Amino acid sequence: MKRLFSVALGILTAIGGFVDIGDIVANSETGARFGMSLAWVVVVGVIGICLFAEMAGRVATVSGRAVFDLVRERLGARVALVNLVASFFITFLTLAAEIGGVALAIELATSVNYLLWAPLVAVLVWLVIWRVKFDIMENAFGLAGLALIVAAVALWKLHPDWGGLLHGATHPVVPQGEGHPSWWFFAIALLGAAMTPYEVFFFSSGAVEEGWSRADLITNRMNVYIGFPLGGLLSLVLMASATLFLEPGGIEPGHLSQVALPTVLVLGKLGLAVLLVGFFAATFGAALETGLSCGYSIAQYFGFQWGKFVRPAEAPRFHLVTLVSVVAGAGLVLTTLDPITVTEYSIVLSAAALPLTYFPILVVANDPDYMGDKVNSRFTNALGSVYLLLLVVVAVVTIPLMILTKAGS
Amino acid sequence: MAGRTMDAGLHLLDRQLIDCDGRLAGKVDDLELEPPEGGGPPTVTAILAGPGALSRRIGGRFGAWLEAIANRLRDGDDQKPARVSFGVVKRVGSAIELSVPRADLETNRLEAWTRDHLIGKLPGAGDAPD
Repeated sequence: MKRLFSVALGILTAIGGFVDIGDIVANSETGARFGMSLAWVVVVGVIGICLFAEMAGRVATVSGRAVFDLVRERLGARVALVNLVASFFITFLTLAAEIGGVALAIELATSVNYLLWAPLVAVLVWLVIWRVKFDIMENAFGLAGLALIVAAVALWKLHPDWGGLLHGATHPVVPQGEGHPSWWFFAIALLGAAMTPYEVFFFSSGAVEEGWSRADLITNRMNVYIGFPLGGLLSLVLMASATLFLEPGGIEPGHLSQVALPTVLVLGKLGLAVLLVGFFAATFGAALETGLSCGYSIAQYFGFQWGKFVRPAEAPRFHLVTLVSVVAGAGLVLTTLDPITVTEYSIVLSAAALPLTYFPILVVANDPDYMGDKVNSRFTNALGSVYLLLLVVVAVVTIPLMILTKAGS
Repeated sequence: MAGRTMDAGLHLLDRQLIDCDGRLAGKVDDLELEPPEGGGPPTVTAILAGPGALSRRIGGRFGAWLEAIANRLRDGDDQKPARVSFGVVKRVGSAIELSVPRADLETNRLEAWTRDHLIGKLPGAGDAPD
């Protein structure tokens, strides 16, 4: 019974935890510009993150080693350092974007400018990292993130033309007036949002934080195979809402309030209140995950003690890195750089860096020295190799495409 | 651990060091090797860990930069990277297990400094995690 409860809790947490500012922005923007024609990318991205998160969780559970530990060991000091610099930079950008996202959500609720909220948000993020127990932290924000389901309720109440939406999703065509390069650029952004590297840094380190043993491998599977796809579905709801409401008017969501528009129109103030709780929880939870991931990646590369499972005084350099990252993240928001723009860059650069993270995971998940009898199945390896090939192609074309399309504009 | 022959590059380099209490104590950033008097493969005498050792392996501008920082952070004129005698290695697996606590290692200096001067001073730093 207790196990059943923990599995159910894990799944719910994974749903709420899947969506972050990157998913919110990418799915709404794509829906507004391209309708449902890029929905297939979300499916590809969700399968990819399920595949590699399960591997990373399994490796962490069986060997007790988190992702960046493996990156260092498999790629060597030099290549892993290049990887660290790139991954840290992207995770840091995402952290800044999440802090900005939380501040924007509070601005929507209070009409007080988000720049005033950003420092307060950063203090709160750090306090939670410093004081709150790992599992309480993860569950609380994951569960509160489920409030985003209100967007699905709003969509349902609208009685939309489901057949039309499905047809748009299954018959992808580039809408008139849009070029192929922009369409592909947004496809890459969606993939980057679904497969952001910090998710596996956090997921694998979390397995070590919570002291998972082989008995928890089932929890690992359930979290990933049920929780993540349902989280992906939530992303698609945002895309569909944007398709119905924003695309006809040619509105591009440059602000979080436009993402909330469909829910407000259908469910009124109460709907908006619930949605804002969801936005807040999803972005705040992701700010915690990215803040911790900044510390995890650096500590695991250099071999420092890391984690919330020891007293902070026993992992001083890890806590110093998270503290400095959170402060600097708030600093980046305070430069008045638009948080939505920061988000866009963070997910596109994530896409470019994906092979750096996922290649070592695939290699170690096949190493019997670490995994014993829990090495990858043939099917997992075949699918993993196909994905790795895809990610390499994406990584090669991302930057040229970004320059060519002027970042999709 | 004497007398075992292994591929040091594959089985030692870049592995995690774990002390006798299960705490993480740095990485195997480099190795100190000594050729035996009678010839044959060299013996590993010590593990070198920390930015001083790492910077030499990375090389280039970034390596030089890292080494300069490492030297700046070190007391006095001692420019040698931190050393862990191979005698305290208990087991070589997917991580390197040591038979001593990390507080006894030279490689722990920066960690201890950060604790004593920065993180340890914050309220709640010594509180148990649960």
